[in-house]
Amino acid sequence: MTALLRYQAALLLRSQRWLPPVILYAAFLAIGVQSGQPVLDSLGYTAAALLPVAAWLVRICATNEPPAARSCTGAAAGPGRAHLACLLVAFSAAALLGAAAVLFVTVISAPKSTDHQTRIEAVPAAGAGLLVALVCALLGVAVGTLTNWPLLRSPGRAVPALLLGALLTLVLAGSPARAAVTSLVEGSQHATIPVPVLPLAAAALLTAAAIAVACALTTRRSP
Amino acid sequence: MGRELLLSLEGVGRRYGFRGPWILRGVDLAVAPGALIRVEGANGTGKSTLLRVLAGIDAPTEGRMSGRPRTAYVPERFPAALPFTAAEYLTHLGAVHGLDRPAAARAADDWLERFGAAEYARTPMAQLSKGSSQKVAVAQALLAEPELLVLDEAWSGLDADAREELERVVVERTAAGAGVVFVDHDPRRLTGVPDATYAVVEGGLNLRTSTGTSGDVGVGPAVVVEARGPSGAQVPDDVVKLAADVEETGGGSHRFSVAEAGSDALLRALLGARPPWHVVSVGPSWLGPGPAESPEPEATSERDAESAPGMTSELEVERS
Repeated sequence: MTALLRYQAALLLRSQRWLPPVILYAAFLAIGVQSGQPVLDSLGYTAAALLPVAAWLVRICATNEPPAARSCTGAAAGPGRAHLACLLVAFSAAALLGAAAVLFVTVISAPKSTDHQTRIEAVPAAGAGLLVALVCALLGVAVGTLTNWPLLRSPGRAVPALLLGALLTLVLAGSPARAAVTSLVEGSQHATIPVPVLPLAAAALLTAAAIAVACALTTRRSP
Repeated sequence: MGRELLLSLEGVGRRYGFRGPWILRGVDLAVAPGALIRVEGANGTGKSTLLRVLAGIDAPTEGRMSGRPRTAYVPERFPAALPFTAAEYLTHLGAVHGLDRPAAARAADDWLERFGAAEYARTPMAQLSKGSSQKVAVAQALLAEPELLVLDEAWSGLDADAREELERVVVERTAAGAGVVFVDHDPRRLTGVPDATYAVVEGGLNLRTSTGTSGDVGVGPAVVVEARGPSGAQVPDDVVKLAADVEETGGGSHRFSVAEAGSDALLRALLGARPPWHVVSVGPSWLGPGPAESPEPEATSERDAESAPGMTSELEVERS
């Protein structure tokens, strides 16, 4: 598994296809986050913007290897394990990106509640921001997993499905991502730091299920 | 043979989608260690799908598949669109096949050199020609000495030297106990060597030819090897399997006829036997009726009498 992870990570890094989503994320943050704004509000925005970026990273990893090369890897390691490695690498990339963004945003934001009256400690705020970013990274990976090979093969369907899936996951009532981001925004209004454990558990379960379905389907769909 | 099968398919069917047409149906196939199996069939009959099922890349829609040996697969067309040099890609794949990284890097260089692509080891894959890419695909499959080698027109695009080398490697792998299943559009590919040839017809699998040992059927260039074993030694099993014909010439000497692709493997088996055999002479020959019309050997061994008579002829070996 280590060899597969190294191979997939090298594929992602060397392909340089990670650059567009990272630039898009930086642009999201540049537009939505300014220094001196309340920290929890900014962290909510940072986490929410990570979700489509994580989904995009999954699409990059899932389409990075040409089908013939994927067959060679699949024969050597099992197609399910090969695809699992690819999804784990996408998740790690999204989680790293999210963690870096959370730390940066925490540093430049004002440690205050929305009305700028109450002080909010930076370190617990960053912890809450990391948890919410993790929820969004997980669900972004779930969306990307369910809207790419082996479930959807043609880009004509996969890309719109991915965009729609990412949007709905952010706005639909009952979505763990929406619950987690909302808890940050409300925490900012009430000057409390939320600990979104329930959304995190739900996101982890949903993503694990999505990954299990995709890996099981790798040997059942045409290349 | 008494050895356990590497892989067996029972009543295997495969179709894509819930209502797609059946591409394979009711396929039974067993791959024993050391077996060399050729699969034939017209374009679009499901040969590639069968190979993908054997390689574990496609799961059967119905039926049972048992056994999962360490497998390597070579596709017909290998894309160059990978952001690595050939050596980097092969090192990654060697590690995926289970080698540690230094061993993978060494194996990568060795196999590239064997296929005449050593000069491309540091070339980005995107700049490789089709043939050189195919050499990388072949090398990828051989890095870690797989137990099952699945070749889907692996020879296409290779130059003549590399094609011959791949034939030799295939015989070598089977001599080492690996199973090999291949598809190739060239009917002369590995002539006389496969243990069995199957044809995919309308999704089913028909046995075309089958032999107990390699090389009893077929026509093609061959090599006659004369070797002397230690006193009282039996001919090693893998040598018997490789040879198309074994003939005892007295005084502990034997004369082996072997298809040209298998001559290296046969010599290696003789010299590597414990205790090793002494090779007295090596000469060219011809299997089956062909350009080198020569008389039947006078002394036929018991084993030769069992196999189809008249299928094997050989040149007399020059002896001093």
